Amino acid sequence: MSGGNEKWLDAYHDPVASLYTFTQCLTLSDIQADGDWKLIVADLGTGSYDMKLKVYKNTTLMSEHTIIDLPTGVVTFYMDTLEPRTPAIAVASGPYIYVYKNLRPYFKFTLPPLDIHPMEEDLWNQAKDDQVNVFSMRDMLESLRQEGCSLTVRTLRLLQLEPNNIEAFVNVHKNTPLKKQTVITCLTTMKKSVADEDAISCLVLGTESKSIYILDPEAFTVLATMDLPSVPVFISVNGLFDVDYRIVVSCRNGCVYTLKRGSKDVTKHMIELNSQPVGMERINKNIYVACMDETLHCFTSKGKKLWTVRMPASIMTLEVIDYKPRSFAGILVSLSNQEVHIYKEKFLVDVLKMDDVVTGMRFGRFGREDGTLVMSTKRGGLYVKILKRTAKFEERDMSAGPPAAQNVKLNVPRKTKLFVDQTQRERENGVSMHRTFQRDLALLRLKVMREYVKALDNSMNPISSDPMEPIKLSAHVQGIGPTFKFTVKLQNTSLTQACSNLLITFDYDDKLYDFRKKLVQVPMLVPGLTYDFETFVDCLNDKGVTENVKVYVLKPGKSVPIITGVVSMPVSESIVVV
Amino acid sequence: MDPLYLAYSYFRRRKYKECVEITTKILEKNPYDQAAWHLKTRSLTAQVYVDEVDVDEEGIAEILMDDNVIANVSRPGTSLRKPGTAQSGPSQGMRPTTQGGRPLSGFVRPGTQSGRPGTMEQAIRTPRTAHTARPVTSASGRFVRLGTASMLSTPDGPFINIARLNFAKYAARPNLAKGLFEYIFHHENDVRNALELAALATEASQFNDWWWKVALAKCYYRLGMYRDAEKQLRSVLKSDEVIDAYLHLAKVYTRLDQPLAAVEIYKQALTQFPGETTLLTGIARIHEGIDKMDDAVAFYKNVLKFDSMHVEAIACIATHHFYSDQPEVALKFYRRLLQMGVYNAELFNNLGLCCFYSQQYDMTLTCFERALSLAEDDIILGDVWFNIGHVALGICDNKLAFQCFRLALSHNNDHAEAYNNLGVLELRRNHVEAARSFFQASYVMSPHLYEPHYNFAALADQLGDLQSSFVSAKRAVDAFPNHVDSSDLLKQLKQHFSLL
Repeated sequence: MSGGNEKWLDAYHDPVASLYTFTQCLTLSDIQADGDWKLIVADLGTGSYDMKLKVYKNTTLMSEHTIIDLPTGVVTFYMDTLEPRTPAIAVASGPYIYVYKNLRPYFKFTLPPLDIHPMEEDLWNQAKDDQVNVFSMRDMLESLRQEGCSLTVRTLRLLQLEPNNIEAFVNVHKNTPLKKQTVITCLTTMKKSVADEDAISCLVLGTESKSIYILDPEAFTVLATMDLPSVPVFISVNGLFDVDYRIVVSCRNGCVYTLKRGSKDVTKHMIELNSQPVGMERINKNIYVACMDETLHCFTSKGKKLWTVRMPASIMTLEVIDYKPRSFAGILVSLSNQEVHIYKEKFLVDVLKMDDVVTGMRFGRFGREDGTLVMSTKRGGLYVKILKRTAKFEERDMSAGPPAAQNVKLNVPRKTKLFVDQTQRERENGVSMHRTFQRDLALLRLKVMREYVKALDNSMNPISSDPMEPIKLSAHVQGIGPTFKFTVKLQNTSLTQACSNLLITFDYDDKLYDFRKKLVQVPMLVPGLTYDFETFVDCLNDKGVTENVKVYVLKPGKSVPIITGVVSMPVSESIVVV
Repeated sequence: MDPLYLAYSYFRRRKYKECVEITTKILEKNPYDQAAWHLKTRSLTAQVYVDEVDVDEEGIAEILMDDNVIANVSRPGTSLRKPGTAQSGPSQGMRPTTQGGRPLSGFVRPGTQSGRPGTMEQAIRTPRTAHTARPVTSASGRFVRLGTASMLSTPDGPFINIARLNFAKYAARPNLAKGLFEYIFHHENDVRNALELAALATEASQFNDWWWKVALAKCYYRLGMYRDAEKQLRSVLKSDEVIDAYLHLAKVYTRLDQPLAAVEIYKQALTQFPGETTLLTGIARIHEGIDKMDDAVAFYKNVLKFDSMHVEAIACIATHHFYSDQPEVALKFYRRLLQMGVYNAELFNNLGLCCFYSQQYDMTLTCFERALSLAEDDIILGDVWFNIGHVALGICDNKLAFQCFRLALSHNNDHAEAYNNLGVLELRRNHVEAARSFFQASYVMSPHLYEPHYNFAALADQLGDLQSSFVSAKRAVDAFPNHVDSSDLLKQLKQHFSLL
């Protein structure tokens, strides 16, 4: 497990490739049907611009297309039966799917618009004919929003505007027809009627409007629509559209749903997660879900949990590793501690240490090499590693039996003979011992009471016992002398009651010390906060003599201080001439 | 009677003041009386003499501006600066620690109080009182004070004017030079002149006299030149076997933070001088310093085999037994101390606690009462009241406990443990805000205690203030890495933060 060196070859690394992308926007495909597989990347750029579709042939950039909006997914699929068998690239971005063929823009598909709330539509129609006052329109739209209706972007923008801008806004937009669009959140493919490698595939996509669409690849019509209780974020499909299929979707509400052909009840095989999903993959019948709470779960397709593994750091992304020549199938987990862990079932079989946090991974055929792992990192690096043909992943099973802690002997001291002797004494003289103790206890209680009353009378306490002035005092001295810094901290310990009109003064030997501030005015003390009051003290004696200093908190009109703190002053270091 | 004879008699009986008076008179009559002069120097030295081989307090300057540090991150169990890396014996949960993270010692001596402060702030803050405050440097703290004290006692100027001495002349006369060296070193605290005299005298003795080499080493040590001191002491050990040299060498290694080397030296010395208690105590102290409590106790027990009246050994063993759940054994040891004539508040306080925990209830409160009446200063009184508070908690009298902790605080305003316990009591009475502020006060005063941190974290967690809870639980884990409850709380909070 030391590094990945005996299993992986470093084929290429470019830490400054400035490629900012995620697993969903990385794919490997033979788009020119020449047996040389290309890397297709939808680059998210630096945020709001510079989004590009990049195609790498080996490690050189082959082509580049600008994308208008942020891409959310890239897949390749066969859309026809023509020879040579070149697949098309589909890029999901906003409400559109851009299809590229032979690296040229081919088609743009727009998601069907959603139904507009009738009231809203009616209002805008009235506005078009100038039949309604813009302000009453705004109020009605506002009430619609408060009822929780889903509104169009245009209406939402109107509700954000200042009142004096509304009229102009309505005039500009009222003549264009009202449309409500959604955004694609995830994208994948599904074979249509044959399971061959190069068979025609449908596109399956999830949207922000909580639904799943299946698109016909030739005519680009919606073949099927399914509704979900929440917004889908990760999607995984197996089966054939014309025969039978299952779509596993993990949603933003922390649930994983399984959709079947023809079934309407999505909540039947629902998996509830403890935390939000950050990745989902499927190997055969098992569903692997990575969650935000640093765990990786495995479920059966029926929704039964098999196991959970806790990760040492937060999970960034997941990817399936399916290496056919050695029939090895595992899961790659990228972690925020710059490592990539490889799990076979629930056993960790390898760890790759990277220079940066990996955000996107794709394992598959790249160039002419079968087992290639392409990774993109948080700082924009691109790394390619090749799995050695001799690599062997051995799973290490945990040994069965009781946990190791069970065999540790606790260090409990033995009871000594002395102890036994003493219990003997206790048994014999129990009554007299009890009597003595009770008498002593009564005396002690009396003594404590006396001392306590004395302390209360003198207010010798750093905590006030007066319910009207609930304050606490602590004082510190800092420094090595001859000048010290004296800090008095006051805290109001009550919940609701403020204290005001207080003074702090000091009691000291004026031959020994000189306080620069002899009286401190205390502002009103708000409950719960600690207030610091500082003053400097000069020690006037260099003979190493010290004395206690008393801090009084006073209230005008009271002869006894409310609280008193006693501070033993440290010995002042004299000025040393060496 | 011959006045010189009387002076010698006084000197032997340790009546140094009378001895000085008589010798001064003799010297007034005959300033060149060498015997009287020598006796006067010796008795003046003896007045302020501190055994140089004993441990001394490291000053702030030595700790923070240490240029002898070799490795910042030392291997576990090889450094006095990072205690707790080689722990054996009871855990921190059972035995409280000092500010430096070291278990409380049974015997207060220089160097046990606090270990190393982590920051300048902690070092400069003089937390409790004059007698626990750290000196700025060990070159100034104790020695300057002693020096000035001797200046005060001779208002008509110093007895010997060092600046006018011809060292070369004295160095050639070994009978006078040794006394003079001790006078300069201990009484005048003038290390540089002492070094000059020692250097000349070593030369005069053809580098054969071990005494002068040890004297040189003492001066180098005082000046912070530890490697030179080591060289001198090694050269002594080549020719002579002297306990003094071994002890000094071990002290040099301790200061260089090489505790294992120091133990090695002690063990080497023990082969020459088997059963020497100072050597055995030295080993035990170092083991205590690096948290190997079991080894320390084994050596202290060894000390008792050779010297059954050794107070430090008895006290340390007793403390060890008390904290490893054998109060009845501890009681036996403390009683031994009492029989030996140690009669103070601390001892009675410990006896009271041991009696209480070993179920000898009839003696408990009497002991505490005596401790209260014997206590001389407020710090001790505060501690005794704190312990009585624990007894009150043990018999479920919360009101009494509350009053005792308040009394502990009124005697010692900085009693962080009492603040913590008061906080718990307030919490039981549902005074949440008061409890919160007490915990806060407690951990601000003594950040090395893990209890207030944990209590505060648990309370904040209940109140829903997860942020404060997290911060405080983290501090608790810093103070006591093995504390299970704090780690559990921390884990729970982490889970909470990542959950839906």
